[in-house]
Amino acid sequence: MQFRRIWMSLISLLGCFVPLLGQDSLSVRGALDDTLMLRNATVTARSREQKLREGAFAVGALNIRLQASTLQSLTQAIDRTAGIRIREEGGVGSEFDLSINGMSGNSIRYFLDGMPLDAKGSGMTLANLPVNIIDRVEIYKGVIPASFGSDALGGAVNIITNRRNRNYLDFSYGFGSFHTHKADFNAQYTGKKTGIILKPVISASYSKNNYIMRDVKVRNEEHTAFVIKDLPRFHDDYLSLFGQLEAGVADRSWTDAFFVSASVAMIDKDIQTGATQDHVIGMAERHSRAVNVSARYEKADFLTEGLQLLATVSQTWDHSQTIDTTYRRYYWDGTYIDGSYSEIRGRGKTWRHYHRPLTVVRANLNYRFAEGHDLALNYLLNRAGNRQEDAWDTEFEPSSDVLAKHIVSLSYDQSLLGGRLNNAFFVKDYINHLTVGQNELPSTTGADKVTGSNTQNYLGGGLGSRYLFLDELAVKGSYEHSIRLPVSREVLGNGSTIYANVALKPEISENFNLGLFGTADLGGGHSLSYEVNGFFRLVDNYIRATVTETESMMQYVNVDAVHIKGVDGEIRYDWAGKLHIAANASFDDSRDMRKYTQSGDLSVTYRNRTPNRPWAYANTEVSYTFHQVGLRDSRLRLGFDYQYVHWFYLTWEAYGSASTKSKVPTQHITNASLLYSWRGGRYNLSLECTNLLNALAFDNYRLQKPGRAFFLKFRLFL
Amino acid sequence: MKKMLAILAIAMVSMMMLAISCEKPEPEPEPEPEPVVKDYNFDLFVCAVKHGGMSKNKNGTYVRSVPALTADQPRVEFTGKGIDITEDYTLESITRGKYYYQVPQRATGGFVKFHIERNAAGEERIVEDAEVPFKENVYAARKYTHAWVGDSTTLVIVGTADKATKIIWSKLSESTLAVQSEGTLAISLPEGFNAFSTSGLLTYRKSDKKLYYFYLAKREAGQSDAATSVTYIAVIDPATMQVESNTAVPSSVMEETAGSAYGELMQSMIMYDEADNLYVAGMVTVNDQEMGILRRIPVGSKTFDASWNGFPNPEGKLLTVQYLGYGRALCYSRDESLGTKIDSKSHFYSIIDLASGTRMRVKYNGTDLQYCGGRFSQRSVVVNGKAYIGVGGEVEGEAEATYPTIYIYDCKTGTVEKGVELSKGFCFDIIRAMEVE
Repeated sequence: MQFRRIWMSLISLLGCFVPLLGQDSLSVRGALDDTLMLRNATVTARSREQKLREGAFAVGALNIRLQASTLQSLTQAIDRTAGIRIREEGGVGSEFDLSINGMSGNSIRYFLDGMPLDAKGSGMTLANLPVNIIDRVEIYKGVIPASFGSDALGGAVNIITNRRNRNYLDFSYGFGSFHTHKADFNAQYTGKKTGIILKPVISASYSKNNYIMRDVKVRNEEHTAFVIKDLPRFHDDYLSLFGQLEAGVADRSWTDAFFVSASVAMIDKDIQTGATQDHVIGMAERHSRAVNVSARYEKADFLTEGLQLLATVSQTWDHSQTIDTTYRRYYWDGTYIDGSYSEIRGRGKTWRHYHRPLTVVRANLNYRFAEGHDLALNYLLNRAGNRQEDAWDTEFEPSSDVLAKHIVSLSYDQSLLGGRLNNAFFVKDYINHLTVGQNELPSTTGADKVTGSNTQNYLGGGLGSRYLFLDELAVKGSYEHSIRLPVSREVLGNGSTIYANVALKPEISENFNLGLFGTADLGGGHSLSYEVNGFFRLVDNYIRATVTETESMMQYVNVDAVHIKGVDGEIRYDWAGKLHIAANASFDDSRDMRKYTQSGDLSVTYRNRTPNRPWAYANTEVSYTFHQVGLRDSRLRLGFDYQYVHWFYLTWEAYGSASTKSKVPTQHITNASLLYSWRGGRYNLSLECTNLLNALAFDNYRLQKPGRAFFLKFRLFL
Repeated sequence: MKKMLAILAIAMVSMMMLAISCEKPEPEPEPEPEPVVKDYNFDLFVCAVKHGGMSKNKNGTYVRSVPALTADQPRVEFTGKGIDITEDYTLESITRGKYYYQVPQRATGGFVKFHIERNAAGEERIVEDAEVPFKENVYAARKYTHAWVGDSTTLVIVGTADKATKIIWSKLSESTLAVQSEGTLAISLPEGFNAFSTSGLLTYRKSDKKLYYFYLAKREAGQSDAATSVTYIAVIDPATMQVESNTAVPSSVMEETAGSAYGELMQSMIMYDEADNLYVAGMVTVNDQEMGILRRIPVGSKTFDASWNGFPNPEGKLLTVQYLGYGRALCYSRDESLGTKIDSKSHFYSIIDLASGTRMRVKYNGTDLQYCGGRFSQRSVVVNGKAYIGVGGEVEGEAEATYPTIYIYDCKTGTVEKGVELSKGFCFDIIRAMEVE
């Protein structure tokens, strides 16, 4: 099979590359400085994550570098954060949806070192980004600093990659249930004479995702009746390859850092189901290829003292294909009958090509005009094209759409009273330009209502403030009038399971956050920290995904007025770096507040909870670390975590009787992990068991998630 | 004095209106129109936000089952009540007796038979009686037409395959749904056309024991505005499924049947009278506008009687027809001058006198029943000599002045009484009368 051949080639390639880079040219000074174990000493300095949490905005911060040896994907770690919920459609490489404080995934923007993540290709997500290259993750809840120049509404996830000042090599390989393999390689090498820094990254993951689907209907041997069976998925292979080379210089007179990079991303994905698992697919596939080139320039004291410039330009050529050229009706046992309609769209055969070039230009000018006073001007251009053509359907008329956003923001940050009081103020201007060329299914996609080009302008702004009374007690609050322009997936569809809705309007929201946090050193190595955040969102034109009744397709639609209020909290306890206990809980209450319909009648869904979204969930995790177990400079960490997600309705509460309504059931998921590191973290071996109790779990309606799975990972850090 | 005069005036007007609404038909033979159904429920289908027919709904379909639709019944509420069928079943369905038969929405790859039960508290639930996989021929939800043949123990389903280039059929057992036989009709695409209509219309005539299949072809598949061929009538032997004749219908007689995409799964477009004359609702173009027409294939004939039109001088499209007995039919049609959108409040009910070709708006207390939205709906059902006619004010963007209401037409006397009301906030789409054992 093609996947297997590619996989074996890649492993061989990595096998050759590792010894080369592991030679003396690398400065091998021990590994993972950040995880050095200090015996007989107490370090109480604040971590970067702690400092970020103590800023004016509501932020969740995760240190990924410490978890990289055990994590399979970034989504695992983020999903355990307070106020965050990730809903996955299936196994490795499946689509997922992230929500922050109740705002759905597409209200959330993703950044990689401040640049939109999709610049690496539409297929690159939190789920397949190499974990080893990541230092930390910042999760902004509701209000987002102006420096991102983003139109996010519910929040933003900013992934910060490692920036070490020394050469290193980092390689890991893991394998597990459902024929899952993952390999990550990244390194840094600085030429002794030229000072040119090279940073290669190679990452690959593959899975058959052939986990067992329980209680599915298949035909009996005579094909005369249905019988219920447990059967493995049979058409869900996933292969992701990512390679990147970054080269540049640092600490020169003309720049603090100047890097150019080129990356290639390739994703092949079999499609197993439609929007629900009743719709079994056995042949359709999706492929995406993306090439990105970018350049980054940083300079402090640019033109004048105190003025800092950060400029980035990026161009991505993204080409994806959805192949839906089979008239077959599949059953879960892999058998089929020839049908009359294509598998995904339920219409004629299609081999749709999508060319989505993406141009991103970002510039930040930050001027510190006095100590503790910073003024910043930010600009972001995000231009996404969407050219469609069909290699099979000769009747399809090629189309070309363009979605361009210009976002300009101005911010002022101040630090007063010796740093006890921090304030931030910002204004943003959003300009959205849409050119619609597609005219397929116009009454469904709205292409008959929105034609040609149109440009719209929106203004937003906000502020944040934090006051530190004591280490044990601080308060912070923030507000933003934010605009969220629809993303291309929402407006233009994905060509397979999501219809376009070119008439979709931007979301507009008033976001309020109020939080308390603190850390108490209890002595004797015991420390306790806590954080509680309340939030309130008043959203107009809330964008919600609906599963259409026809052909299991999805489409994004506007809901007039939605109010979301809620609270999340987290408490963390640590004893001498050995025992770590954390628990968080999140509750949000999102309601339809449109009292009257357009016609003037009382809306039957008035004050109903917004359907098809989790609103109560909790996580707990416990880990214990043993030091010096067996080998020199070793440690053994045993971890256990539990996730709870309360059930929720698929549709509005007012529609239909409670006993017959479709629900996404409650989930109880337990995971366990074991990590053994030796030689100061140079060698790491981990074993993880997800869904330990093999619970039947659904994040989405009738899309069963994997059962119990094991994953063994080895990581080498030189 | 003034008060007395006012009372007198009101009384006179009331008497006049009563006289109009209770207008008796001419004396005529009174054959029993339909077998009496001993006990039945009414299943009421509504959709949220928008009307649901033709798969236009994305907001959910809900059904309530009630024992009666008379005015003494409490208003039928839908908020937080009724069965949510959205994810599993389609609004469009074949029904017979107490059962529903369909290719379900949930796409498990087969046919399903179910019925709706109501417990003592009045809460409904669906009970599945049978589900069988497709054999060779595959049908998509909604996109098929059907007929009951012989002694009604066999269900014939007809749809299209291979990008609508061939017409497939399957015979199912009524009780078990088992696929008894299946195949492809020996019908070729007319020259110059490359797709058949999505489903066409199939019906079984008892008097000659033949299936009649009405279909046309399109220049391009999947396009609603594609050029179409003339309509054809294929006469099929239900025992062998051999096509015995295939006749083109002159455009002047009928260009298209009233619907050709979803059979009669939702809307009734074919009816029979006591003599087994076959009536078909259709369309012709008049002054560049599609207008309704009602044609008849007289008993003993296999082609339309071009000289007979039961829907002359149309105001617009004829959408549904249902035989009431006594030589009369209930029709649901549209006044094009009042709007042509699905939700336009331009649809209304009339009674057609099939003998004279005249028709009259259905009135209550001397006033025409109001215009309705919902081009794709079937809010009327005829059972035990009464027609239950649903009138809804549900039009997107307009306030509902009144509650959706059922009016009950007595087929024998022609009198109309007001029935039960339905709650506002939903789009009322279908009434089905379902037997109770």
